Amino acid sequence: MKRYDLIIVGAGPSGLSAAIEAAKCGMSVAVFDENAKPGGQLFKQIHKFFGSKEHQAKIRGYKIGETLLSQADEAGVQVFLNATVAGIYLDKEVLVQLNGAMEHFKADTIIVATGAAENMVTFAGWTLPGVIGAGAAQTMMNLYGIQPGQRVLMLGSGNVGLVVSFQLMQAGCDVVALVDAAPRVGGYGVHAAKIARCGVPFYLSHTITRAEGSDCVTGVEIAQVDEHFTPIPGTEKQFDVDTICLAVGLSPMSQLLKMAGCEMVDDPRRGGQVPLVAENGETSIPGIFAAGDVSGIEEASSAMIGGRMSGLAAAAYLGFLSEQDKDHRLAELEVALESLHQGMFAPGSKGKAIAKTDEGIEVSQSLLKKGYLDDADLKRFIRSNKTELTNKKSGVHPVIECTQNIPCNPCQDACAKGCIKIGKTITALPQIDEDSICTGCGMCIASCSGQAIFLVDEDYEPGYASITLPYEFLPLPQKGEVGTALSRSGQPLSTAEIIDVRNAKAFDHTALVTMKVPADQAMTARFYKS
Amino acid sequence: MSRISEHPILGPTETGPKVTFFMDNQPMSGYAGEPIAVALKAAGVMIHRYTQKAHEPRGIFCAIGRCTDCVMIVDGIPNVRTCITPLVAGMKIQTQDGVTPLEVSQ
Ligand SMILES: Cc1cc2nc3c(=O)[nH]c(=O)nc-3n(C[C@H](O)[C@H](O)[C@H](O)COP(=O)(O)OP(=O)(O)OC[C@H]3O[C@@H](n4cnc5c(N)ncnc54)[C@H](O)[C@@H]3O)c2cc1C
Ligand code: SF4
Ligand code: SF4
Ligand code: FES
Repeated sequence: MKRYDLIIVGAGPSGLSAAIEAAKCGMSVAVFDENAKPGGQLFKQIHKFFGSKEHQAKIRGYKIGETLLSQADEAGVQVFLNATVAGIYLDKEVLVQLNGAMEHFKADTIIVATGAAENMVTFAGWTLPGVIGAGAAQTMMNLYGIQPGQRVLMLGSGNVGLVVSFQLMQAGCDVVALVDAAPRVGGYGVHAAKIARCGVPFYLSHTITRAEGSDCVTGVEIAQVDEHFTPIPGTEKQFDVDTICLAVGLSPMSQLLKMAGCEMVDDPRRGGQVPLVAENGETSIPGIFAAGDVSGIEEASSAMIGGRMSGLAAAAYLGFLSEQDKDHRLAELEVALESLHQGMFAPGSKGKAIAKTDEGIEVSQSLLKKGYLDDADLKRFIRSNKTELTNKKSGVHPVIECTQNIPCNPCQDACAKGCIKIGKTITALPQIDEDSICTGCGMCIASCSGQAIFLVDEDYEPGYASITLPYEFLPLPQKGEVGTALSRSGQPLSTAEIIDVRNAKAFDHTALVTMKVPADQAMTARFYKS
Repeated sequence: MSRISEHPILGPTETGPKVTFFMDNQPMSGYAGEPIAVALKAAGVMIHRYTQKAHEPRGIFCAIGRCTDCVMIVDGIPNVRTCITPLVAGMKIQTQDGVTPLEVSQ
């Protein structure tokens, strides 16, 4: 039987982070993952992450995954792939299905970082080929380069539903509607706005009543629901689609912990059956830890911090790290974790209706119901004394349509001119500093994980304004071409001429497209269609 | 369904060499090393199997080897999860009917 100081189940962001910390303390570490590739959910995530610098904000998920892998390699972590852990037994014996055979391993400490499984919903026809999970859609398009479908309806308006809808469009699919039984968009408003301006209609308080088709999905019917989530007859709508994508939440995969005898609790706020854990991830059994989504559904940034904490705690448990050093480093990580746990989407605020931001600004109801800010929300973005605030030569200034308290601040770091201020609390809304002058460099647009920043020049030419927007689709518009400017809801507004396209390496695949539109659309045009 | 030839973030899709395989005796092409299910999807195949009792069609659902909706008969072996099994040149893949393999016609 092979022995290790530490065995980790799951090579996702939390498992790998734990492994790196523990191995750096001198422990022998083995990580088992059932997949053929390591990284867990991280390699499917192609968007720029939220958070702040210490959380690797504005770096795309799969890049973070690559960094973790090379760090694990450097630290001497042994990663076993195609290795499913079937059981954890007394005395920390681990049974692994490896290369078709069952093998026993033994460890002095164990960290379970098995992540989460997707939830399902049922409706007539839900088993038809063409009904898929959101994770399946991501796997197909982002790992294997194939479109999950041509015309897709998305069920679920949480961050996963919103992010995957955007990724489907990046893969060239049409997203015909975003549906959720809840009365409000569950995920970040900036993610919703990104897909609304591409023209995706939002149907909140709606659900799928049936999938149509005999051999595979050919259509879908949705209906409005009442306050008990019962479909209201007469409100049905039909869409021709070949794919129905489900993004209705995740549940911790905590079976191994239960089997090992760890004390479990049912906590809906953490996503279901989760182990009882201390701050550092230690379960009721000394030496067995849980980290990441398995101990409560959050996101990759907190999963990585949680992983590091349990890695250090395991090292201290076996004496590879002094108690003093452990306490010191855990305290640092707690601060980083705490900063992610603030704001409107904090774990404790799930599902709550929040009327005002921390700054006392009313939360846009239009954003929560339709996915975009409406005219009434925009008043505070329109400046009164514009000559004072803008670059005197070019007239360009940033407009930041980020209106919820989310843990994110790369826009502040991006601006070398100090135009954008968030302050120490990373969930605070970004503010424009009226004394700084914008050069129009565009770094803020490219760094914004929510694609919520636009550069506007109301006086680009007599009668015309210019708008610079983030663009992550192909084909890229070409300078000189003429197309259509779209509103925040994706409605055509007017003809727009592309006057500049920038695609610097520092922008990391977020192209900056500048269009010229009639002056009265400076605050309404937010997307472009060729 | 179409393959994504170039992705705005990930760039051109990397593939293994192009190979021929057989789906219910029909020759089809795919890329070696990609999951069988991906090659089938690119070729427009949606149905992977029929359930035993109700004879209902099933196709890809989770794409990570957890739900078993995508199982097929591969080179004579039934219940192979095609979403996590790499394609190999010359593979013989068959729609699975219930748990018993369909008759293999030569
Ligand atoms: C569409 C989508 C978008 C997201 N967007 C963001 C975002 O913008 N920012 C953010 O921070 N987070 C985001 N997340 C969340 C983030 O991906 C997860 O919170 C994170 O991956 C959790 O990490 P983990 O290590 O706990 O689990 P996972 O990444 O799920 O990894 C767990 C690993 O354990 C393996 N495993 C499970 N059971 C076993 C077993 N018995 N034996 C062996 N191996 C096993 C699994 O196969 C998997 O590889 C998103 C998630 C999704 C689905
Ligand atoms: S365009 Fe450049 S100078 Fe202007 S606000 Fe953005 S980062 Fe700052
Ligand atoms: S504007 Fe700033 S805080 Fe808001 S999403 Fe963009 S980078 Fe994050
Ligand atoms: S699609 Fe679920 S196991 Fe293959």
